[in-house]
Amino acid sequence: MKASEGIETSGRKPSRPPVVAPGHSPGSVTDQITAVVLDRAPRWWWVAFGISFALVMLLLRALTKLLFEGTGIWGLNIPVGWGFAIINFVWWIGIGHAGTLISAILLLARQEWRTSINRFAEAMTLFAVACAGIFPLIHVGRPWLAYWLLPYPNTMDLWPQFRSPLVWDVFAVSTYATVSLLFWYVGLIPDMATLRDRAEGKFAKVAYGFLSMGWRGSATHWHNYETAYLLLAGLATPLVVSVHTVVSFDFAVGQLPGWHATIFPPYFVAGAIFAGFAMVITLAIPLRAAFGLKDFITTRHLQNMGKILLATGLIVAYGYLVEIFMAWYSGNWYEQFMILNRIQGPYQKQWMALLLCNVLAPQLLWFRRVRSSPVLLFMVAMFVNVGMWLERFVIVVTSLHRDFLPSSWGMYSGTFWDWATFIGTIGLFLALLFLFIRFLPMISIFEMKTIVPKQVPNTAEEAPE
Amino acid sequence: MSAPHSNAHSNPYEPPSDLERLQRHGWTLGAVGVAACLVGWILDSNQFFHSYLVAWLFWLGIALGSLAILMLHHLTGGAWGLMVRRTLEAATRTLPALAILFLPILLGMQEIFPWARPEAATDELIQQKAAYLNPAAFTLRGFFYLAIWSLFAFILSWLSLRQDRTADPGLIRRMQAVAAPGLAIYCLLATFASVDWLMSLDPHWYSSLFGVYFFVGQGLSALAFLIVIAVYLSQRQPMDSLFTPLHFHDYGKLMLAFVMIWAYIAFSQLLIIWSGNLPEEVGWYLERSHGIWKYVSILLALFHFLLPFLLLLSRDLKRNAKLLSKVAVLVLFMRWVDLYWLAAPSFGHEGLSFHWLDLATVVGIGGIWFALFVGQLRSRPLLPINDPYLEEALADD
Amino acid sequence: MSTPPPSKGPFALMAEFRSSKELIRAIRQARGAGYTQLEAYTPYPIEEVWEELGHHRSWLPLIVLIGGIFGALFGSLLQYWVSVINYPMNVGGRPLNSWIAFIPVTFETTILFAAGAAVLGMFALNKLPMPYHPVFNVERFALASRGRYFLAIGRWDPQFDRRETAEFLHRLAPQEVSEVAS
Repeated sequence: MKASEGIETSGRKPSRPPVVAPGHSPGSVTDQITAVVLDRAPRWWWVAFGISFALVMLLLRALTKLLFEGTGIWGLNIPVGWGFAIINFVWWIGIGHAGTLISAILLLARQEWRTSINRFAEAMTLFAVACAGIFPLIHVGRPWLAYWLLPYPNTMDLWPQFRSPLVWDVFAVSTYATVSLLFWYVGLIPDMATLRDRAEGKFAKVAYGFLSMGWRGSATHWHNYETAYLLLAGLATPLVVSVHTVVSFDFAVGQLPGWHATIFPPYFVAGAIFAGFAMVITLAIPLRAAFGLKDFITTRHLQNMGKILLATGLIVAYGYLVEIFMAWYSGNWYEQFMILNRIQGPYQKQWMALLLCNVLAPQLLWFRRVRSSPVLLFMVAMFVNVGMWLERFVIVVTSLHRDFLPSSWGMYSGTFWDWATFIGTIGLFLALLFLFIRFLPMISIFEMKTIVPKQVPNTAEEAPE
Repeated sequence: MSAPHSNAHSNPYEPPSDLERLQRHGWTLGAVGVAACLVGWILDSNQFFHSYLVAWLFWLGIALGSLAILMLHHLTGGAWGLMVRRTLEAATRTLPALAILFLPILLGMQEIFPWARPEAATDELIQQKAAYLNPAAFTLRGFFYLAIWSLFAFILSWLSLRQDRTADPGLIRRMQAVAAPGLAIYCLLATFASVDWLMSLDPHWYSSLFGVYFFVGQGLSALAFLIVIAVYLSQRQPMDSLFTPLHFHDYGKLMLAFVMIWAYIAFSQLLIIWSGNLPEEVGWYLERSHGIWKYVSILLALFHFLLPFLLLLSRDLKRNAKLLSKVAVLVLFMRWVDLYWLAAPSFGHEGLSFHWLDLATVVGIGGIWFALFVGQLRSRPLLPINDPYLEEALADD
Repeated sequence: MSTPPPSKGPFALMAEFRSSKELIRAIRQARGAGYTQLEAYTPYPIEEVWEELGHHRSWLPLIVLIGGIFGALFGSLLQYWVSVINYPMNVGGRPLNSWIAFIPVTFETTILFAAGAAVLGMFALNKLPMPYHPVFNVERFALASRGRYFLAIGRWDPQFDRRETAEFLHRLAPQEVSEVAS
C-alpha cells in the first residue's frame, strides 16, 4: 500500500480522496507551509491569541490564590478527596496521547496520511502534557516541595515508596514529557534548516540556524536520522500505552469499587486515544480553514480520524459494558451498589450525558457522509471532548462520594476556583498552540516532500524558477 | 507481476499438490487421536473432559483468531493480509465443525464446571449468578456465539469467492462493511465466551480484563499459525516466487505486537489483582503461584513473552522465513500451555497432573481440524485473484 | 565529508541537480568513474541515495539497545536497593522485594534511557551540532533544504583534481557546478 496511497492508479479500486491535493511539488510544499510562519500574522491570530492569553491570566490568578490559601478554595472535602485536579489531569494527559499515536504508531503502521497532521499533533501532546502536569503539582498542597517525589539522596534519608502508583506516575509522566519533547524536536530539525535557509530577517536566520544545529541534509544525516526516528517511534508506542496504563493504575490498584477493575488499563488507553483524536479534529478543522491548508489536511484525513474515533469509542463502550456486567457477575454487594449508584444515584445526569457523548454520538461516524463532513465531524468531536471529561468526573466522584458507611456519604461539585483553574489551562493550551503555529512549521515540510513525488508520478519534480 | 486476471476460470495460484498429503496425515492423526480419546473417555471420563476443553479451546482459538485477523485486514488493507487472506478464510470456514466438536463439552458439563453440579445449589454466591451460569443458558449461548461467528466467516468467504468470479470492485467496500461490525461483535461475544468456558471453571472468581486476555490470545494463535502455513506455502509452487522477506517482516512485526499486547494484558491483570489483594480475586493467582504451577507460570513469562519478544526484535530474524516459523511454532505451543494454565489449576487435580489425554485430545481434535482446514485451503486459489490491490501487493518488495 | 582537507584549495566540488533521478544517476556515474569521497544532499530522506553511495547499516540500533539495557538495570536496581536494602518498609504486608510493583518504573527508565540514547546517538553519528560547515559557503546550497539535490566530491578523494573533477561534474548535466570554499 505504499506506492500509490491516495492517487488512483487503477480504475478498479474504490476511489479515495488523496492525502495531498494534486499538483504539488517539493518546492510548492515548502513555500506554502513556510509562508504561514514567515509571513505577517493575520489579524484573527492576534485576537485568538489575546483571548487565550487572557485565560492564562485567569489561570495565574487562580494559582496565586491557591498558593496563598491552600486547596480549601476547591470543592474537595471528605469523602471526595480527589476532585477536579485528578479529573483534569487524566483528561489532559489523555488528550496528549493522540499526538504520540499519530506520530509513532501510524508511522510504524506505514500510514502515510499521518504526515500532514503529525507535527501539529505532537505539539498538541506537549502542551497537553504541560497542562496535565500542573494539576498533580498544585494538588500536592505545597508545590514548592514537589521535587520530593523524585528519588534523590537527601538529608532526611527518605526514599519514594515504589509500590505506590503515584510514584509510578511521576516516572511515567516525566518520561513521557521528555520523550515527546525529544521526538518533536528531532522531527523539527530538518524543517528548522529549511526555515534558516528561507528566513529574511537576521534574527530569524540566527534563531532557526541555532535550532537546526547545522543540519545539512546529507545522505549520512538522513540515514541516521531516519533510523533514530523509527527507533523513537518504536519506543514511544509502548511508552504512550504505559502512561495511561499507569494513570489507570492510580485508580485500579486500590480496593475501591468502581476503581479496582482489571479492565482499566486498556479501557483507559482507548479512552485517551478517543479523547485525543477528538481534540485533534477539534483543532485541525478550524486551522486548516484559517490557514488555507486544505491541500494538505484533506477529506481523507478527516475520514480516517473519524474511523479511529469510532473504533476507540467502541472500545470505551465495551469498557462500560464489561464493567456493568462484571459488577453483577462478581456477586459482590459493594460492586453492585456502586454501579447502581452510578446509574440511578445523584450523579445520574452526568452518567447519562456521558453515555450520550461517548457512546451514542460517535455512532454517527458509521456513516461516510458524517465522516466526510467537517461540520458534522467537528460536532461529534466536541461531544467526545465533553464526554471524556464527564467520564473521568463520574469515575472519580461516584466511587468516592458514597463511602462504605452511609454516615460518610457526601456530595461534590467544583467551586469557582476549580473551574477557573480548569478553564485557565485550556487558555494555556491554546496560547501555546497559537505561538507554535506562528513560529514553527505546523506541518512537517520534509515529510510532506517524501509523499509528493509519489503523488505526481512522471512529472518534473521541481518547476524551473 | 502480470496484469490482474480478469478471466475467472484461469487459476494461476493453484494450491500445491503436497497439500493433499498433508490432509491425509491430518485424517490419520485425527483418527488415531480420536480412538485414543474414546479409550480415555471410558477409562477416566473426568480427565477426558478436562483435557478436551483445553484442546478444543486451543484449536478454536486459531480459527476465531483467524476470523479477527481477517476482519482486521479488511479494515486496514495492506499487502500482508492479501497474501494470507485465503489461509485465514480457510481457517474460519472450519467454525461449523468446531461447533459440532463443542458437543462433548455439553455432555461433560457437570464434570467440567462446578456450577453445573448439584452441590452448586448450596453455594450462595453461585446461586446469585444462576441466571447466567445454568446449563440451558450455557448451551444456548455457546451455540449462539458459534453460529454468529460462523455467519460472519461465511459471509466474508462468500464475498471473497464472488470477487474471484465477478471482479466487482464494489465488493471491497462490502467486505469492509461486514468486517467493521463483525470485529466489534466478535470481541463482545468472545468476552462472554471467555466467561462461560474458562472463567466459570472457578465460579467465584472474576476479572473484567479476562475477555481481552482471551481474544488477544486467539489473535496471537492465529498469527503464529498463519506464519507456519505461509512459510510452508512459500517453499512450494506457486507461492515460492510471490512471498518476499518483506511480507515475513510484516508478519513478524504483527506477531511481536501481539506477544507484547498479550504480556501487557497478562501483567496488568496480575498487578491489579496482586495489589488489591482481595480474597475473592487473589485466590486464582495463589493457585497458580504455588507448587508446580509456579514453574508453569514462570515458563509462560519466559517462553510466551520474553524469548519470542527478544527474538522478534531482530530484523534479520523477521525476514528469515524459516527462523520465523520456528518462533511461531514455539508461540503456538505456548498458546496451548497458556490455556492449560488458565484451566487446569481450577480442576482441582493434585499437582501438575499432566495426563496422556491432554496430548490425545489435542491430536484428535487437531488432526480432524487440520484436515478440514487443508481441504478448505485447497478448494480455492491461494490468492484472491481479482482483488484490485493484489497487483500492488505482489509488487511490494 | 568530515575529514578535514589536507591541503589548500576548495573543500569540495559540488553539482546541483533538479531531480532525485538525476542525482542518483550522477552518483552511479561518479562511483563508476572511481570517485569514493562522495556526499549527496537532498531536501528529504531518499533511501536509494544512501544505498547508491555504498553505505550500509547504522550503528544506532546497537546504541539504543545498550541505552535500554542500562535503563532497565538502573530502574530495577534503584528500586531494589531503595526498597530492600536502604529503606526497608512494610507497606500493607507486601514483600520488601515487590518485583511486580517495580515493573512499571523499570519500564519507564528503560524507555527513557533508550530514547535518550537514540537522540544523542543520532547527534553523535551525524556530528551535530556543527555551527560551521564549508558547504554553506555555496550560495545556492540554501536550495538543498527546499527542492534541489546536490552532489559533492571531497578534495581528499584520491582522484580529485580541481579541473578534471569539475569537467567530470559538468558532463553529468547539472544545473550548476560550484567550488566549495573551505
